[in-house]
Amino acid sequence: MTMETIRKPRNYMNPYLAGVLLGLVVLAANFISGRGLGASGAVKSAIVAGVETVAPKHAAASPFYDSYSKAHEGKPLNNWLVYQMLGVIVGGFVSGVVSRRLTWKVEHNPGIQSRTRLLFALAGGVLFGLGSQLGRGCTSGSALSGMAVLSLGGFISMAAIFGTAFMLAYFFRKLWI
Amino acid sequence: MGPLVINEIISENTNLLLAFFIGIAFGFVLEQGGFSSSRKLAGVFYGYDTVVLKVFFTGAITAMLGLLFFSLFDWVDLSIVYVNETYLWSSVVGGVIMGAGFIMGGYCPGTSFCGAAIGKIDAYVFIAGLFIGIFLFGEAYEWFEPLYLAEFWGSPRISEFFGLSEGVTVLLVILAAVAMFWMGEKAEKMFPRDEY
Amino acid sequence: MKLTDFNPRILLSVIILSLGLIIAAVPRNTTTPFKLTAQQILDELKSGTQYLEAELVAKMIVEKDPVLQLIDVRPQSEFEKYSLPGAINIPLDDLLSPEYADLLNQGTMTNVFYANGSTRANEAWMLVRQLGYENNYVLMGGLNYWFETIMNPQAPASTSSDDELARYDFRKGASQALGGGGLVASVADKKEGSAAPPKPKAVGKKKAVKGGCS
Repeated sequence: MTMETIRKPRNYMNPYLAGVLLGLVVLAANFISGRGLGASGAVKSAIVAGVETVAPKHAAASPFYDSYSKAHEGKPLNNWLVYQMLGVIVGGFVSGVVSRRLTWKVEHNPGIQSRTRLLFALAGGVLFGLGSQLGRGCTSGSALSGMAVLSLGGFISMAAIFGTAFMLAYFFRKLWI
Repeated sequence: MGPLVINEIISENTNLLLAFFIGIAFGFVLEQGGFSSSRKLAGVFYGYDTVVLKVFFTGAITAMLGLLFFSLFDWVDLSIVYVNETYLWSSVVGGVIMGAGFIMGGYCPGTSFCGAAIGKIDAYVFIAGLFIGIFLFGEAYEWFEPLYLAEFWGSPRISEFFGLSEGVTVLLVILAAVAMFWMGEKAEKMFPRDEY
Repeated sequence: MKLTDFNPRILLSVIILSLGLIIAAVPRNTTTPFKLTAQQILDELKSGTQYLEAELVAKMIVEKDPVLQLIDVRPQSEFEKYSLPGAINIPLDDLLSPEYADLLNQGTMTNVFYANGSTRANEAWMLVRQLGYENNYVLMGGLNYWFETIMNPQAPASTSSDDELARYDFRKGASQALGGGGLVASVADKKEGSAAPPKPKAVGKKKAVKGGCS
């Protein structure tokens, strides 16, 4: 075995096998906790907690922050999704170690500069954050978990997210191909 | 029997601990499937890599089937499992905005954390964007509120909406997915990219 | 030939299609009874959603609301002396008898328990709620309050608000329509209209798990 083969990242898992495992994770969440997975909700918890700490009066006056905090007994960070997201970071890291994929890098198409990639990543993040609030969940919370329980809203979210991305794909092709 | 926490088989704190372990499994599977790479994720929209389509639909179908079989065996009470609410316009507009964010940013929130975990700097920037976006929504909530609360339909299942049984609905989703998997692999052969 | 020799897509497609066919062919399991936890019942008790006001019940009786089903949970002897129009008698002791299960666990009618005060009716409500039954309510204040307000309404002082005067007028009207005073109402045989009865308002609807990302 040469050095080259040792250093090379391992291949990704077969996508269908990964899909089945992902489905089992969603199933476990529903079986144990009666709910699906989520990601944007954890960020929202952090935001609510942050705004409450920095500007408590402002948070109490806004129904958006206030109702969320009340629903979590005043401790927005003590939340199922927050613990789950901490797990995601650990799980992703472990997988990166196992498969030798830990590297600091800006991943982008050679046709564009890192700066362009980062700019669009930021813009995409802002849009996704905003949209996830209107959609009451992101691809994991609304689309994947929603579809798992056959929620009509989940199917609508899925169709809207992927449909729009497909329609806009042409305009952003320089970023990716 | 299930959901365990509702039927008081496990306590609220155990539930939070298990959330952490569920998260580990979630993150591990996402990373192993290649969801930590924005170029792999975006591939589905150009046909060169349809891993998103395969993992996402296989996952959703596995979970659907699992829940229906669990219910059949009396292992889980589907009537108390959370079903996401449907606010029609908010869902559609939110989905459209998220779709635009997806094609620009190359990540979705869950996968961006996964990418960040293995050192993708673009993922960190995306996460920063998420914080800004959600904060903006919070600050402008009153402006969004009419849209946010419009056309509330309760928590209907798609099966109820179309008047089908849940089993038949899942079968239809499976048929659609099998067709899409086939098309996805065709597309990968049509638009190949070796190094990305 | 090993399993891994197959194209993964074909293999997965075959498996999920077979499972899909099975799940589409078997009827959904609906036998699991939905049970509430003690905490959930306590929460409902605290919020008082199980109570229906006497005025509302009187209005439903007067309007012959087809979904109203009054259930007298007092002993049979008391029921025979006096009962509300259209009421049926299920003494508290017999509440869990299987012959009443269909009547108490259903989705169309609005069952209203009553006794002399609120206590016994509330006990009945807690028992059926524990079993996860829906659409059962308690007549607020019981028959004692019913007589004070609906059957023998006291005219409010002339200085009272319009609201109170309107309430008095309604009670007087209801009292007349219901025959006033102590009458032994016949146990009217209730036939539901052939048209589908309107769905009762889900006042105390069970709350599923709070999940999702919002």
